[in-house]
Amino acid sequence: MMVATDDFVEADNVEAIISRIEHKSRKIESLLKQSKLVEALKTALEGSPPNTRDERCKSANWIAVHRAIMAMKDLDALFSSLDPEYYNILMKYLYRGLSTGDRPTCDPVPADSRKTHGEGRLGVHTSFPSRHHKYSMMIIAIVI
Amino acid sequence: MANSLRLYLTCIRNTLEAAMCLQNFPCQEVERHNKPEVELKYVYVSMILICRNEAEKCLIETSINSLRISLKVKQADELENILTKKFLRFLSMRAEAFQVLRRKPVQGYDLSFLITNYHCEEMQKHKLIDFIVQFMEDIDKEISELKMSVNTRGRLVAAEFLKQFI
Repeated sequence: MMVATDDFVEADNVEAIISRIEHKSRKIESLLKQSKLVEALKTALEGSPPNTRDERCKSANWIAVHRAIMAMKDLDALFSSLDPEYYNILMKYLYRGLSTGDRPTCDPVPADSRKTHGEGRLGVHTSFPSRHHKYSMMIIAIVI
Repeated sequence: MANSLRLYLTCIRNTLEAAMCLQNFPCQEVERHNKPEVELKYVYVSMILICRNEAEKCLIETSINSLRISLKVKQADELENILTKKFLRFLSMRAEAFQVLRRKPVQGYDLSFLITNYHCEEMQKHKLIDFIVQFMEDIDKEISELKMSVNTRGRLVAAEFLKQFI
């Protein structure tokens, strides 16, 4: 009985989470149209569903974050303005992207860039998207 | 080295540097036993999959006292498929010489490494990572060389055989 109740509560939450993600996606699209790429990525990373087990929620959020990541061009601006608390969340989505095997997502690009934010803090190794709008692969490693 | 391969290997190197933090951990199920937890999965095992493309990928499974790295090597045609299978089987059968190589690859992959905390104590961590990355780089070259030598030998044999009909 308790399990059935939990399932019922989870289903309700899932619908709420999905509608929230849809609303977030519309906001991300409008930010991307205004060329506010960093804000779009921050919006995508905020409110990621932390404890849900529903695959639809995870997939819906992943699609929104993926859209924002693929639109990124200036990674210097991204890492200078992104709060460190978002690095872990961003890393998880990047590894999710790397695990898809989808060529446009995983295909690397010519330019490389490495940023390290000092001993004992987050170290980031990234690659930029090319000017010809090819898809990019961002690689982030946490160096502790 | 092609840029795409370089970035793929760099990603794997960075992931291994973060993941290779191993410590001794006695078995929770059997008293006075010490087993690689990544094989038994008694405790939580985290998995990271890094794909270069649909055909090439690397699965890194980490646990508290061991790390398993499984590789899927690119195989463009049937000949490469056969050569890769034979070559990697040759290496796997000599796993003791490599110490960190697993005798049998994980299902769905061509080759697997198993690194335990004992390996990290005896060997240097960055050297282990260098070895794995260098291995991944060299395996493609080896398979290409094998393929070329098979094609060359085939061409020579065919030419010699057909000479008698000239």
